[in-house]
Amino acid sequence: MNALDEVKKALRKVNPGLDDGKIVPGALLKEDLDVDSLDLVEVAMALEDIYSLTLDEDEMDGIKTVGDIVALIEARLKVKSA
Amino acid sequence: MPDRVVVTGFGAVTPLGLDAEDTWRNLVAGVSGVDYISLFDTTDFKVKIGAEVRDFNPIDYMDPATARHTDRFAQFALAASLQAIESAALRIDESNRYEVGILVGSGVGGLDSLTQQFRNLSARGPTRVSPYLVPMMIADAASAQVSIRTGIRGPNFSLISACATGTDVIGIAYKMVRWGEVKAIVVGGADAAVTPIGLAGFAQAGALSRNSEPKRASRPFDKERDGFVVGEGGAALILESLDYARARGANILAEIVGYGATSDAYHVTAPLESGEAAAKAIELALAGIDRDQVGYINAHGTSTPLNDASETRAIKKAFGEKAYRIPVSSVKSMLGHMMGAAGTIEAITCCQVINKSVIPPTINWEHPDPECDLDYVPNTARKAEVNIAISNSFGFGGHNAVIAVGRYHHK
Repeated sequence: MNALDEVKKALRKVNPGLDDGKIVPGALLKEDLDVDSLDLVEVAMALEDIYSLTLDEDEMDGIKTVGDIVALIEARLKVKSA
Repeated sequence: MPDRVVVTGFGAVTPLGLDAEDTWRNLVAGVSGVDYISLFDTTDFKVKIGAEVRDFNPIDYMDPATARHTDRFAQFALAASLQAIESAALRIDESNRYEVGILVGSGVGGLDSLTQQFRNLSARGPTRVSPYLVPMMIADAASAQVSIRTGIRGPNFSLISACATGTDVIGIAYKMVRWGEVKAIVVGGADAAVTPIGLAGFAQAGALSRNSEPKRASRPFDKERDGFVVGEGGAALILESLDYARARGANILAEIVGYGATSDAYHVTAPLESGEAAAKAIELALAGIDRDQVGYINAHGTSTPLNDASETRAIKKAFGEKAYRIPVSSVKSMLGHMMGAAGTIEAITCCQVINKSVIPPTINWEHPDPECDLDYVPNTARKAEVNIAISNSFGFGGHNAVIAVGRYHHK
């Protein structure tokens, strides 16, 4: 599964009512998906479990869109495999 | 001048029904809501029975994300509160949102959420604890959820007095309306303590029935009673000032006419044997009311050996010889002990008794106990015209709370 699919899965775990079609890279977490700061912590926890990594609060601070999360994960995976 | 305070709606989610009407029908029919616990595996437990809410679907009352981030107790509270608001036809909008309050109590709050997250903490460390733990666990979570959902912006808080919570919330809400702090208030109680830690805790305190026949285990005032049955659920009422209710053309169901609260100053679990402080609470609730008018007592009646005997003494202390002529019943014989919701569903029961002229029974009453010698309306419901009913609630720690409910007279 690619990073976007995993992020989608994590978001739907936190909010089971989320419409899959709305979870696109450009979607704003708060405005478009109603994902608040607490939800984002849960999303981060789910991704940490899947990828066996630790996401710091500082790293999560700038996250605004679905694409931001995907980019963060991909960057971290690159560092890991390098 | 204090305002008169009336009841204009109620809602309930109980082991005997997913609304107040179904619950009432089953109470009058003498149905027991007690059964073997299905919510978790009780293999290692001595006590295997409880009064669970069955077939409750939180999605009927909230979106899936809210349901996932809300403890079961707050789900019950939200469901009961929304039912109450609907039955009172109370519309919340810009014109009144700051004049309506919320007071929803809970005896133990989000016990199961705390337990689950504690498990994550022990097994996997602090970074695996849900960010939702605190808002799920805190006892005022239910009150908060009602505000978030309904848009009510008046005073909003919770209170805790163990198993007296459900009556104290009504007493305090009554005072808030009476003295004009709010025009209307959503008042409720909720608990979801049928959890492994809840069951273990109450069992270790020696408070629970060890009876292995679920339907016969809760037997208030019977000589062979041996403890209470842990229950769960939520209940809520709408209280408002008579003026406000009249102005908006609300259907008035009953009037709250008194509240009394005292404490035993005695023990963390056992009640004061003489019933002295509990009797004082009854007297305070009936201050200014002719005691001959009291036609029904909804007992705390937990089915523990100590409560039922000391409560009987308290009733006799408060009413003297008249005590023998007042029907007393315990719906905990059927609902189990709904903890923080108990007093609230019992207040609703008092309203229903007055409106429907029927008193629900104390089921499983078979063996007379010389220490419990009042009229407990044994086993079958009884027709009766009741003008004033009182509801007793007592809690661990020695909290005594009593409210008096009256038939509404337009005068």
